[in-house]
Amino acid sequence: MIVADLNRREFARKLAGAGLSIRFGPFNLTIRSDLSSLATAAHELYAPYPVPETDAIHDFHVGVARPRSLRRWIRRQACFVVDSNRPFAPYTVEHAFPALEWGINWCVATRSHHLLMLHAAGVERGGRAILFPASPGDGKSTLCTALIHSGWRLLSDEFGLVRPEDGALLPLPRLIPLKNESIEVIRRFRPQAVFGPAFFGTRKGTVVHVQPPVDSIRRMHETARPRWLVFPRWTAGAPLSLQPMAKSEAFVMVAGNAFNYEVLDETAFRLVAEMVERCDCYALSYSDLAEAVAALDDLSPAADG
Amino acid sequence: MIVATSYVRELVWRRFDDLWIVYQPSSAETHVFNQTTSEILKSLGDGAISEPGARTRVEQALGLATEGLTFEDFLPAVARLQELGLIDSLAENPAHP
Repeated sequence: MIVADLNRREFARKLAGAGLSIRFGPFNLTIRSDLSSLATAAHELYAPYPVPETDAIHDFHVGVARPRSLRRWIRRQACFVVDSNRPFAPYTVEHAFPALEWGINWCVATRSHHLLMLHAAGVERGGRAILFPASPGDGKSTLCTALIHSGWRLLSDEFGLVRPEDGALLPLPRLIPLKNESIEVIRRFRPQAVFGPAFFGTRKGTVVHVQPPVDSIRRMHETARPRWLVFPRWTAGAPLSLQPMAKSEAFVMVAGNAFNYEVLDETAFRLVAEMVERCDCYALSYSDLAEAVAALDDLSPAADG
Repeated sequence: MIVATSYVRELVWRRFDDLWIVYQPSSAETHVFNQTTSEILKSLGDGAISEPGARTRVEQALGLATEGLTFEDFLPAVARLQELGLIDSLAENPAHP
């Protein structure tokens, strides 16, 4: 069963009641909210995602609710809730859906220490993955969105989830939140992509969520092997440059971009070292998305040879 | 005289390019060591040695001429290893009670 099997009314009823169960990659979530605007966006954008069996164990119980204080009568606000806690300041109610999405990412980042979590986008083709470790603003989500609409499978635009047992990458193909200028860049690059509503004036500017291609969501159980580490940097007007990078530098950058490197101690060291040993490492500088996609496409046949 | 501490035996070493990435379990820290720094630790494998003696061993290991390794390169590396708790200094002429 997938979310699209529920009509809008059933979906909203579950969301406002005991909660909607939904699977994102290795995580089962229960989501609760009685906000109708959130239900509308979630029903549309979560449509292809699977609904777990009723007896499945859920990793996170999240929701978006109105504040309990007097604020609810002064301004229309919404709070992200996880396990009955409200870890963030309230959002304006119009931003309830992006608040939910950010909150889910926060849950993953702070509560998934059974995995090594790299701050990295990832795409896969032929069982081999490119990881893009990067800081916010380096353009990894934009690049990742272009690639998954050009024949690559989405692993994640935010988390490189590495399984300690074997170093495999676990897909977490969630919605991709494009921000500000990136929105029009992708609308021009792939107009047929599934875009959600625009949320203006959020804490990160204007945000539009892009639904991953259905194939990426259907294959969320298929792991991939890291094959390339590419460190992207978008710079206005920059010519395309894809240069090999020293592995020692790559190690430092991957470890520095991990959410929980210190938490996992020697396990994290071993996993990053094995990944860097196995991968070809590059620094990518670009301004033109089509050029960057073509250059990354060329990595794959080169590796085949 | 300088000597390696017991923590050195626990280090996990990985070589990338001409650098060593080293995990230190006693502090849960990861270090990047250049060849000079890593050779200093290796030179202490047989026990305590004087700083000039260690420097000579590092020069030999790196294929440098005598005094080819400047103190400007050598001493900061020794100081860093001391900070990390990986080497200790021993008094040259310990006072007897």
